Amino acid sequence: MIDLQGFGPQLLEGVLMTLRLAAVSLFLGIIIGLAAAIAKMSSIRWLARGVDILTNLLRGLPELLTILILYYGVQNLFNAIFEDFVEVDGFTAGVAALSLVFGSYASETFRGAFLAIPIGQIEAAKSFGMSPFTVFRRIQLPQMWRYALPGLGNLWLVLIKDTSLVSVVGLQELMRKTQIATSVTKSPFTFYSVAALIFIAITVVSTLFLRWIEKKSRRGVRMG
Amino acid sequence: MKKIVLALATLGIALTSGAYAQNAKTLRLGTEGAYPPFNFTDKNGKLQGFDIEIGDALCAEMKRKCDWVTQDWDGIIPALKAKKFDAIIASMSINEKRKKEVDFSDRYYFTPGMMVARKGSGYKQSDLKGKAVGVQLETTHSQFMEARYKDVNLKQYKTQEEANLDLANGRLDLVMADSAVIDDWIKANGGSAKFERVGDFVRDPILGNGAGIAVRKGDKDLVAAFNKALTAIKANGTYTKINNKYFDFDIR
Repeated sequence: MIDLQGFGPQLLEGVLMTLRLAAVSLFLGIIIGLAAAIAKMSSIRWLARGVDILTNLLRGLPELLTILILYYGVQNLFNAIFEDFVEVDGFTAGVAALSLVFGSYASETFRGAFLAIPIGQIEAAKSFGMSPFTVFRRIQLPQMWRYALPGLGNLWLVLIKDTSLVSVVGLQELMRKTQIATSVTKSPFTFYSVAALIFIAITVVSTLFLRWIEKKSRRGVRMG
Repeated sequence: MKKIVLALATLGIALTSGAYAQNAKTLRLGTEGAYPPFNFTDKNGKLQGFDIEIGDALCAEMKRKCDWVTQDWDGIIPALKAKKFDAIIASMSINEKRKKEVDFSDRYYFTPGMMVARKGSGYKQSDLKGKAVGVQLETTHSQFMEARYKDVNLKQYKTQEEANLDLANGRLDLVMADSAVIDDWIKANGGSAKFERVGDFVRDPILGNGAGIAVRKGDKDLVAAFNKALTAIKANGTYTKINNKYFDFDIR
């Protein structure tokens, strides 16, 4: 690592925090997105409508606002409920906000991907006597990924950049570390440029990985 | 349906896993960590600066264990109210507007405000109409400019550093800030060959009467403890030692 007036290791810590934040949010976000997509397509009306309203709400709010609501709002709520101080830390609030937002967007990606599976396959599976769960597990889930991957890749790149918003709740991720280094060394452009290069590097590596995994997901399949 | 329940349970765990009860005995001090020379984070990730050393000295005097928490400046009072920490030691100026939000200790230092422009600007404090003036958001300097100079083009920045940057690159005509902070920046950026003070140091009720330690409203015991410790470190020479380490003038 280049020394960067001594702030190299600090920036590296920031990068690790950014990646941790993004990775955990991706994992939880995919679970939330998948669950929300299934809920939206369910025949239980109130569930489908409820989840639809929730995801639209989360997609409508600026991410920054969601983070602030979860960090300050939920903290005040906890203070009102619990007698002892129970802290909602910056990482938890950040992950919760980012994964909820990611999940809301991903739910539409997943829904589209499920709908892209030819209905004939599902009918065929049913006529073999498969239960709805077996149809889901064997036919829908494995094929859905193929359609969802490009959209998810896009969301991942957006997510990485959204992590910088979490600095408002005091989390020491890459952007906050950059600002601290800037204020002490008084050489902003060195650090802004380094931060930009790091974000681009993460994006390039992600894109290459996505291309590889997309190719892998299409083995033996011809897609239009 | 099972999957949905599972997902909701996972979310629930995620929301609460980072939540844990705090030890009530430890005093938690909030600071910005990006406002040199008063409080900043060095290359080892350690907090440094005048505020930090004063805070540590006060804790030692009070014989209490203290933990520092860093927090962006514009969210520092909400974080205090949400009990993220118990006191703010972050060069927060005491003024009437803030007294509605928080309680303050006695002041632990005072530095006047200062307007800075690029060398040779020839600006006067009495005539700043239409000038682009930069301040840090949520500071007394920002409140001062809003109240006293309604005809300037005021630009508010999240950090002091961003305002300074726009002064250097010409987007701003002036910066209004704390004299000690802006002086520190000028010295690192070409000194008096490039920048000059506009008029005298600025003293005004809005700028307050120096920096104090902020606590949640009604936290009287804590204010009393801080005040007692402050008097003690001023009397035993600890304060002077810290003062002289950072400044070649007395900011008491």
